[in-house]
Amino acid sequence: MAIGKSVPMLDSVARVTGTVPYASNLKLPDMLVGKVFRSSVPHARTIKLDVSAAEQLPGVVAIVTAADFAGDDTPNLHFGSTIQDQPVVAGDRIRFIGEPVALIAAESVVIADQAMDLIELEYEEIPAIFDAEEALLPGAPVLHEAFPDNLLGHSKLRRGDIEAGFAAADEIFEEVFSSPVAQQASLETQVAAARWKDGKLTVWTGSQSPYTVRRVLSAIFDLDVEDVRVIVPPLGGGFGGKGNIRTQPMAAALAWKVGDRPVKLVMTRAEEFLTVTKHAAKIIVKSGVKLDGTFTARKVTIYWNAGAYASSSAHLVPAGMLRALGPYRIPAGHVDSYGIYTNLPIAAAYRGAMSSQGVFAHESHMDTIAHRLGIDPLELRIKNLLRTDDIFATGERLHDIHFVECLEAAADGLGWHEPLQRENGTVKKRGRGVAVMMKNTIANSSSECRIKLDAEGRVTLYTSTVETGQGGHTAMAQIAAEALGVPIEALTVIGPDTAETPPDAQTASSRSTHMMGNAVLNGAASLRQHLAEAAAPILEWSPEDLSVADGYVFVTTQPQERIPYAEVLGRKNIAALTATGKYWTNEGKLDPETGQGISTPDWHQGAGACEVEVDTQTGKVTVLRYHSASFAGRVVNPTLAGLQNDGNVIFGLGASLLEEVAIDGGQITNPNLSDYMLPSFLDIPVELKNVSLEAEGSTFQGIGEMTLPPVAPAIANAIYDAVGARIRDLPLTAEKVLRVIHEQGEADDEQ
Amino acid sequence: MNYELLQPDSLSGAMEALAQHGDEAKVLAGGTAVVLMLQQKLIAPTVLVSIGRVPDLDHIRTEPDGLHIGPLTILRDMERSSVIQRRFPLLAQACGEVGNVRIRNQATLGGNLAEADYASDPPTALLALGAQVTATSVRGARTIPLEDFLVGFYTTDLEPDELITDIFIPASTPGSRMTYLKYKSRSSEDRPCTGVAAIAAFGAKTCTDLRVAVGAACEVPQRLPAVESLARGQALTDELIGEIAAGYADSIETLEDIRGSARYRTQMIRVHVYRALEELRNGHR
Repeated sequence: MAIGKSVPMLDSVARVTGTVPYASNLKLPDMLVGKVFRSSVPHARTIKLDVSAAEQLPGVVAIVTAADFAGDDTPNLHFGSTIQDQPVVAGDRIRFIGEPVALIAAESVVIADQAMDLIELEYEEIPAIFDAEEALLPGAPVLHEAFPDNLLGHSKLRRGDIEAGFAAADEIFEEVFSSPVAQQASLETQVAAARWKDGKLTVWTGSQSPYTVRRVLSAIFDLDVEDVRVIVPPLGGGFGGKGNIRTQPMAAALAWKVGDRPVKLVMTRAEEFLTVTKHAAKIIVKSGVKLDGTFTARKVTIYWNAGAYASSSAHLVPAGMLRALGPYRIPAGHVDSYGIYTNLPIAAAYRGAMSSQGVFAHESHMDTIAHRLGIDPLELRIKNLLRTDDIFATGERLHDIHFVECLEAAADGLGWHEPLQRENGTVKKRGRGVAVMMKNTIANSSSECRIKLDAEGRVTLYTSTVETGQGGHTAMAQIAAEALGVPIEALTVIGPDTAETPPDAQTASSRSTHMMGNAVLNGAASLRQHLAEAAAPILEWSPEDLSVADGYVFVTTQPQERIPYAEVLGRKNIAALTATGKYWTNEGKLDPETGQGISTPDWHQGAGACEVEVDTQTGKVTVLRYHSASFAGRVVNPTLAGLQNDGNVIFGLGASLLEEVAIDGGQITNPNLSDYMLPSFLDIPVELKNVSLEAEGSTFQGIGEMTLPPVAPAIANAIYDAVGARIRDLPLTAEKVLRVIHEQGEADDEQ
Repeated sequence: MNYELLQPDSLSGAMEALAQHGDEAKVLAGGTAVVLMLQQKLIAPTVLVSIGRVPDLDHIRTEPDGLHIGPLTILRDMERSSVIQRRFPLLAQACGEVGNVRIRNQATLGGNLAEADYASDPPTALLALGAQVTATSVRGARTIPLEDFLVGFYTTDLEPDELITDIFIPASTPGSRMTYLKYKSRSSEDRPCTGVAAIAAFGAKTCTDLRVAVGAACEVPQRLPAVESLARGQALTDELIGEIAAGYADSIETLEDIRGSARYRTQMIRVHVYRALEELRNGHR
C-alpha cells in the first residue's frame, strides 16, 4: 500500500544536493539574455519611444517594442487568459510604474544593462489612481476605455431577504477590514526561456499553468496550440504567483524578434514585485444577530485592488465572493465582490487567494460578536457552523462538511478549555484565538494523465501537475503505485511538457491531489483493464474473470493462477501498455445576478487555534503555540500533508504580522527581502502542531492552503483576548498593537 | 554595473589604489552591503578595490590599553571570540545579532562601520565602548573617535583615499556590567528598530559610571553624556532609570522607516533604555 505512507519526496536528494533542474538554471546553446525596460511613471501617454541607440550597441541582438506588433503579419499585442487587456509591452499608454515598455535581447547582462540606459522614452503623465474604492468614484482616472468605471468584474451573491434579516436581529454589527498588497516571494523568481524553430515555439518556464501559457501564447502568435510547446521543470515555489501567464509572452516575443537563437528572461527580486502581487482588499462585513448568537443576515462588500490589468482577477473575484460569508448558517446573505483596475502592478493569486482577506474579516468579526454577546468564541462558531446537508448561500446542498471537526481538532489541540495563565507579573500578557475557513476550488475544470507500463514492469506517469515543491509528483506516484499494485520504486513521473503530458487546468487552488489524483485512479483502472484483456488469452479466462493487483493478473476465484505484469507483456510481445485517465467537474456555473447554483465540487476546510504573548510596552506579538487542522479526506502522504499544514501556518505568519508591499505614489519602496519582511525560522511557534482529518469513504481533498487563511484572524483574536486591542488592518504590526493598547488605556482613563 | 576590480595584496597597494582613484573607487571587504548597493544601482563606482588579499587585517589583538580589531574581522568571529565575550560581552552580543549566520560569516566589522547604515547593531555597541577608528591613507594615519567618525545617515568622516585599518576599544573599568538590547519590531532576523548598548560600573551601592548608546532609531548612534551623568554616584532606582530613559527618549531625534514611525521609535527608546538599565542594575549577565 503506497497511499497513506510517508514516502520521501521523489526528488528529495536532488533538492538537498542542489541538482533540481530549475528553469532558472537552464542553459541552451547560443542563448541570449533578456531584459525589460520599464516605465517610471504610473499613468502616461507615450509620446515617443526611441531605441535606436540601444539597438546599435554591440552585443544587443534585438529590441522589442509595441511597434513590432503594429503590422498585419505581426503577433497580437494584447493578451489575457480571460480579458485581453494586457499588452506584451506598453504601447501608447502606460498604466503602472514598472510596466514593461521595451524588451532587450543581448549577449550578456552587462550589455543589456548598458542598452537600458540608451533607451529614451518621452511621455505625458496623466492622473493616476491607486485606491480601489476611489477608482470607482465618478471622475476617477480611467485605465481602460472598455471599462469606463474601472470595474473589471462585479460578482453578486443574493440569498434570502436581507432587509428582513437585519430587521429581525437583536444586534447589528458592522466592521471594516483591510489587507495590504503583498508579494508571493517564491525563492525562485519568475523565469521563461523561449526558442523558435520552423515557425514553432518552445518555452521553458517556471509556471503553475503550462496549458494556460500554451493557449495564450498560441493566441498572441496566431499559432495552432500544437505548435507551442511548454516545458515546466520543478519550481522553486509558486504560491499562486506563477499561475496564469506572466513573463512568457515577453520571452517568446524576444525570441520571435531574434529569430534563430533562444532568449531567457529571469526576473530580479525587485522585478518580481512588479510582475505579480497579492490583491489588497477592503472588506465591509455587516451582520444581524439574535442575542442567543443566531444569525439573521450578513452582508459583505469587497473591493479587490486588481492593479492595471485583469489577468487572473477576472476569475478570482467570483471566488472571493463565494468565500466571503464564511462557513456559517445565515438565512439571508448578500455579497458584492468588486474587481477594480488601479495604476498598480497586477494582483493575482497568492496562496490562500481571495480567502485570506475574507477570512481575516469574517473571523475577526465573529469574535467581535462573541465578545459583545458574552458567548465563548469557539462556542459561537460551533453553534453556527455549516454541516453536511445544510443549504449554503448559493442554494447548493453541502456534502462532506467537517468544519466543526476541524475547528475542534485545532482548539482541543491547543487546550481551549484548559485555564490560561494570562499574566505572570511582567509586561507580557497572553491570549488565545481561533478561526475557521472555507473555500471553493476551481470548478468546471479537468485533469488528464497517461500511464505507461513497459515490459520490464516499469510504470511511467505522464502528468501536467507541476512540482512546485509541494510533493505533487510524489503524491501522484503513490496513488499510481497503489492503484496498479506496484512498488513506488517502479514509478517514474514525467512532466509537465505539453508535447508529452496531457492537459491539466493548472496546479492551483489546491486542486491537484483531488483532480489529478482521481485522474490517475481512472487511468490506473483503465490500465488494469488493458492488462486483464492482454492476459485473458494466456490464462484462458475471460477478462471479466480476472483481477489485477500486487503485480499480478490472476483469476479472481483461483488467485494461485496468476501471471506477473511483465510476463503478460513479454508473452504477448507488447512493448508497453498505455492508458489515459481523466477527471473533471462541471460545477461552477452560477447565476450572474444571484450567485445561485452549484459552485464547487468540494469545499476546502481548515481551522487554527493559537496562543500569543503580547509585550504591552512594545506591542510586539509572539505566537507561542499554534495548532492547525485541515480536512484531507484521505491522506496520501502524512509527512507531506503535515508539512503543507505547518508550512501554511509559517507562511501565514508573514501575511499576518509582517508582510506589506510599501507603495508611495505607485512606486514600490521595499522590493527586496530585507525591507519586505518574511518570517524567519526563528519566528516559528515553539509549539507547532497540525492534524489532517480523514473521513470514511472520502477521496483525496486539497490541503495546500486550508490552514493558512485562519492564521491572521486566529492571531488577531488572540491579541484581542490578551490585551483587548482589535486590529482590523493587516499586518498586525507591533506599532499598531501598541497604538490600540494606548488608545484603550486613554479610553479607560476617561471612564 | 561596469567597474574594474583591483585586488592589491599589500596595504600600500590598497592605499595607492585608493589614492589614485579617489571618489571613483569603492572598497570591497565582505561585500554584503556593497554588492547589494551595486545591484540596486545606488552606487556606481568605476573601480572596486578588494582588500581581501591584504594581509593582517583580520586580527583581534589584546594590548595593555585595550583591544585592537582588524577591519576584515568577520562579525561571526567577533561573536565567537572568547576575549570579546569575556571583556566586552555586549559587542559579542551586538555582532551576534546581525542578520543571520550566513551574513555574519561574510560581513566585516570595518565594512559595517564604513557603510554607516543606521539600522545596524555593532556601531551602537562600539559607541558605548568608546571605540576609536584608525583611518590610513598614503597621506598617513589618523585616529578618530567613533562619535566623530559616524557623521550622519550613511555618512562617515572617511576621505575617499582612506581605509579603516584598525578599530580600538579601550579597556573598561574592571567589573563593569554591559548589555546590548536589540529590539526587532518585525521578524527575528530583521535589522533593529532600536538598539541600546549600556555599560555601568558600580561601587558598593551606587553606580560610578554609566554609558548608554542608542542606535537604529536615529541617523547615527548617540550617547547623551548629560543624561548618563545623572547616574553617577547614585543608586539605580526605578525612578532614576525612568528619568534616564525619558531623557534619551526626549532628546533623540528619531527617524521613520518601515520598522516603525518616529513616534514609535521614541517610545521604544524609552522602553529599551529602561530595560537595559534594569538588567544592569539587577546584575544579569
